[in-house]
Amino acid sequence: MAKVIGLITANYSTKFPSALTDSRPAASVPFLGRYRAVDFALSNMVNCGIRTLGMIMPYNYRSLIDHVGSGREWELTRKSGGLFILPGSAFGTSRTGSRFLLRDLIHNKIFLERDSSDYVILSTANWVYNMDYNEVVAAHAASGADITVITQAARDKDLDVVGLEIADGRVTGIKHGVVFGDTAFLDCFVVAREKLLEIIDWYANNDYLDLFEALAGEYDRVNVQTFEFDGYAAPIFNKDTYFKANMDMLDPKITHELFSIRPIMTKAHDNQPAKLNTGAKVANSRISGSCRISGTVTNSILGRGVIVEKDAVINNAIIMQGCVIESGACIENAIVDRNNKVSAGTELRGTEASILIKDKA
Amino acid sequence: MSKKELLAMLLAGGQGSRLYDLTKDVAKPAVSFGGKYRIIDFPLSNCANSGITAVGVLTQYRPYLLHSYLGTGSAWNMEDGVAILPPYATQTGGAWYAGTADAVTQNLGYIEMNDPEYVIILSGDALCRMDYADMLETHKKNNAELTIAVMPVPWEDASRFGLLVADETGRITEFQEKPPVPKSNLASMGIYIFNKQLLVDELRLDDANPDSSHDFGGDIIPKLLADGRRLFTYKFEGFWRDVGTIASFHETSMELLGDEPAFDLFQKDFPIMSNTLSYPPAYFGPDAQVDDCIVGNGSKIYGEAVHSIISIDSVIGKGAVVKDAVLLPGAIVKDGAKVINAIVGENSIIEEGVDFGSADADKDYAFCGNNVVIGKEE
Repeated sequence: MAKVIGLITANYSTKFPSALTDSRPAASVPFLGRYRAVDFALSNMVNCGIRTLGMIMPYNYRSLIDHVGSGREWELTRKSGGLFILPGSAFGTSRTGSRFLLRDLIHNKIFLERDSSDYVILSTANWVYNMDYNEVVAAHAASGADITVITQAARDKDLDVVGLEIADGRVTGIKHGVVFGDTAFLDCFVVAREKLLEIIDWYANNDYLDLFEALAGEYDRVNVQTFEFDGYAAPIFNKDTYFKANMDMLDPKITHELFSIRPIMTKAHDNQPAKLNTGAKVANSRISGSCRISGTVTNSILGRGVIVEKDAVINNAIIMQGCVIESGACIENAIVDRNNKVSAGTELRGTEASILIKDKA
Repeated sequence: MSKKELLAMLLAGGQGSRLYDLTKDVAKPAVSFGGKYRIIDFPLSNCANSGITAVGVLTQYRPYLLHSYLGTGSAWNMEDGVAILPPYATQTGGAWYAGTADAVTQNLGYIEMNDPEYVIILSGDALCRMDYADMLETHKKNNAELTIAVMPVPWEDASRFGLLVADETGRITEFQEKPPVPKSNLASMGIYIFNKQLLVDELRLDDANPDSSHDFGGDIIPKLLADGRRLFTYKFEGFWRDVGTIASFHETSMELLGDEPAFDLFQKDFPIMSNTLSYPPAYFGPDAQVDDCIVGNGSKIYGEAVHSIISIDSVIGKGAVVKDAVLLPGAIVKDGAKVINAIVGENSIIEEGVDFGSADADKDYAFCGNNVVIGKEE
């Protein structure tokens, strides 16, 4: 098998900042109660055998480092290879839309140069999916392409997703934002390590550009082909897609595909199992470890250690880690970020069209 | 290796034969408990919470799951590691562990390698939260040579236990093994702190004694008492259960439930650590009805669950009912099945429509081991 290393770029911001990304990098937004966005890219890489993995950090990396640590949960604490925390430029997060900033790749050339692997898989951290990257590496090697990008037909309009223009099976350009049916770029691609080093050298003087922007006009010179992923994939760059993808996790078919075939690893905590007390009512929901529930929870996702007191009602909501929902409180169509105490009798109510966010306490 | 004050030796070789099929494939310390834990998590977490950094785990019966679960011990913050100590061979041959004391005797080399001042001997198959550091303080304060953790038991039950008679200072004057007429209600919990050199010397003597059964309770303690050594009790009044039988396993599991459980997993100051895999949060289906349950990650509940332990990765199908029951990790109760007053082993399957267990209080608990399929009786 070809030798492959991984490079996750986490140094980007989103087009529509919300309270979710005010206090943390996009790559570390909590997802489905106990995960963070970056778990999917990290686990996909590790599941295909990658054991040397670089991660380009945003300036506000605290929560990301806290979560990833030394990479132990992903088998990346090793004598040879392992996890490399790489510096990102301050410029990365100030420029929306750029996910593979040339400056960040050029500054971290040494990570690529010091390795002897055949290929590099590069990815961002805000797509939720579980894929066997070995398939795309094999397809890449067989096709003779310079770069193979992973794609999927867009299911929704999404201004945060990069779309690809395609002619005769080759990528001919990119655009920011997709509508239904467009070819969406899953922000993940395979390239020969030597080829990547060569390409980033071409653009040393235009390092403020994104790699795929820099390639515009040169897609005849650089053969970029697509590999379509036909499983579940959801972008989580903004509030609406974030909420929708979380709610997708209430479909056991989707979660089976996401979590049962290949594992998604995340930071381990010594959480107790969830405890449902007498009188609790929970339906069509996902409840994380250490939750204690005495009230009513429907159509919702609860993070670790959430307490729902008696006569509290939660419907169609995401409640993040450590929140306490006191007796008589009512939450609907909302995202409640970490450690909020929703006091007795209060209401937090958005609408289905406009989800309310209560920022981190 | 840096010198340690207190080294733990955890006896984890027991079969737990009165747990029948629950220990057919795994040692008792590796039996799952409380939704996501294994029994050995409790003494190991006690060690971690007491500042112990190295534990020797003496294994013998069905060790594979236990060994893989323990790993390096990092899940319990054992910075000097968990050393797995199964019986081994030497130039003069090898032998199975013949008794609790013999198991430690055969690993005196491990104790000497660590060179601690004190050694605590622990049982790997009891559930309790206990601060061993506090027990050590008591040991030192008493200038004791051996301290035995004891628990007051009801006088009417006392003759079922190994009892320690102590004076008002806690100094032990007599040991009674299951006496018809008890002189004390302080039962030994099988937890001992020895001064290291005394332990080493006594175990060497015991090893050379052909009449000894090589047991701490039966041989070592009576001899030390007869020798006039300074033996003291350490009184423990918290929660402690042996879970040695199917009935006590079931009853202790039920003690985790209720709004104010007798055994509270959520007690803040004493976390229980474990070494579990990553599963997504528990899923509750649109028609799920769950009341008074412990629910582990990865489980999926489509039916009804009342007053039960639903461990990690287990499934309750549509129209199925689980009541007063314990589903161990990966257990599957298929659509329409009923599991009542029962224990379902790890990765075992209760087929569609099967009734497993009964609400009839006069009947024994239904239980099955790991990896079995319970179908309809033909």
